[in-house]
Amino acid sequence: MSLRRQPSEERLLAFAAGTLSFPEAVVVAAHLSLRPATRPWAELGVAVGGVLLDDQAPEAISLDARRDVMARLDAEEFGAEPRPASADPVLPAPLDQFALGPWRWLGPGVHVRDVLGTREGDCRVILLKIASGQSAPRHTHGGVELTCVIDGAYATEDGVFSRGDFEEADPSVTHQPKVVSKEPCLCVAALDGQIMLPGRLGKLLAPFVRL
Amino acid sequence: MSSSRALDDLVVRVGASRDRDAFAGLFDHYAPRIKALLMRGGASASAAEELAQETLLVVWRKAHLFDPARASAAAWIFTIARNLRIDHFRRGSVTLHELDFHLEAEEPAQPDAILSGAQDAQRVRAAMLSLNADQAAAIEMAFFQEQTHTEISRTLGVPLGTVKARIRFGMMKLRACIERDRGDAQ
Repeated sequence: MSLRRQPSEERLLAFAAGTLSFPEAVVVAAHLSLRPATRPWAELGVAVGGVLLDDQAPEAISLDARRDVMARLDAEEFGAEPRPASADPVLPAPLDQFALGPWRWLGPGVHVRDVLGTREGDCRVILLKIASGQSAPRHTHGGVELTCVIDGAYATEDGVFSRGDFEEADPSVTHQPKVVSKEPCLCVAALDGQIMLPGRLGKLLAPFVRL
Repeated sequence: MSSSRALDDLVVRVGASRDRDAFAGLFDHYAPRIKALLMRGGASASAAEELAQETLLVVWRKAHLFDPARASAAAWIFTIARNLRIDHFRRGSVTLHELDFHLEAEEPAQPDAILSGAQDAQRVRAAMLSLNADQAAAIEMAFFQEQTHTEISRTLGVPLGTVKARIRFGMMKLRACIERDRGDAQ
C-alpha cells in the first residue's frame, strides 16, 4: 500500500462510510484534497452509501417531527456557510476549518504543532515540520498512524514521498527516512497514543518522543 | 419508491425555488430511511429521528449547492447524515462538511471522476449485485455496524486480513463494473 502512496481501498471505504476515527478522516481528507486521482474511490464509497440509504426499510417518523421541520423552514437561512479564508495557501483545504496551536520545538530541526479540535480519545492530528537533511534514528510503531506530505519531501528505500503522498505506518517497517527537499518537509499526521510518532518520518523525532 | 432521477429533481427544485412541496417529498422519502440507517448503526430511535430531522434541514439550507451532474441525491444526503452523526457523537463544534467539497457545485468537476451523477446510481446498484456474498457483507458491515475492521473480523469469524481483502476486492470489482458499464454506454 505504501508504494502506491494512497490510502488502501478499505480505508477509503471507511472514510466514505464515516467509520474512521476523526483524526484519520482529517488526514485522508487532506490527501484527497491534494491528490484528485484518489477521489474516485471515496466517491464510489459514498455512492454505495447512497444506494444503501435508498434501500433501507423506512422507520416511521412521528408526525410531530415532520411538522416541526416544516415549521422551521422559514426560519432557516440560505446560502453557503462561509468558508474560512485560508491563512496558508500551502495547507490542504480540509485543514482550513481548524485552528492551529503554536509550533513547538521537539529536537534539532524538528517542530510540531497541534491541529486543534481534532482529538478523539488518544488520537489527534498534528503538523510536523522537519528540516532539510534530517535523517532518522530507528523507531518502532504503536497504533495506526497515518501521514500525508503537504510540502517538501522525504525519501525511504521505497522512494521519495512528496506533496500529497500518503503513508500508513507499518509495524514491520524499519527504514530510515531522510528529508531530501531543500525546504523543510511539512506533514499532517494522525497520531495515536502518547508516545509513538506517525510514519517513518516519526522516526526522525526519536528519541524526542514527548508528544 | 420514487425513482432516483425524480428524487434528484426534488433537490434541484428546493435549491432553485425553495419549493416546500418538493422538500416535503424529500422528507417523506429520506427521513424514515435516514432514521433506519442510523438505528442500524446503533443510534436510539429518538436520536436517529432527531438526526434525520437535522439532516433534512441541512438539505433545505444547502440544496442550491447540490449538483445532479456530480452525485445522486441519495449519495449527497447520505454524506450530510453521515457528517451530522459524526459531529453528534463527537459532540464537537467542528463539522466535517468541508471534507466533502467534491460532491458540491463550488468545486470544479474532476476529469477522472468515474461517477457523474444520477445515471450512475443505477450502475452502482447493478455493480453491487455482481459482488459475491462475502464481499457484499464486508462492504455493507463497514457502513452499518459502526464497526472497525477488527470488530467486523470478530463478528464474521474470519481473520482481519480476509476482511480487508474482501473489502478491497469488492471495491475494485465495483469500480471495474462501473467503468465497463460506462464504456459500453458510450
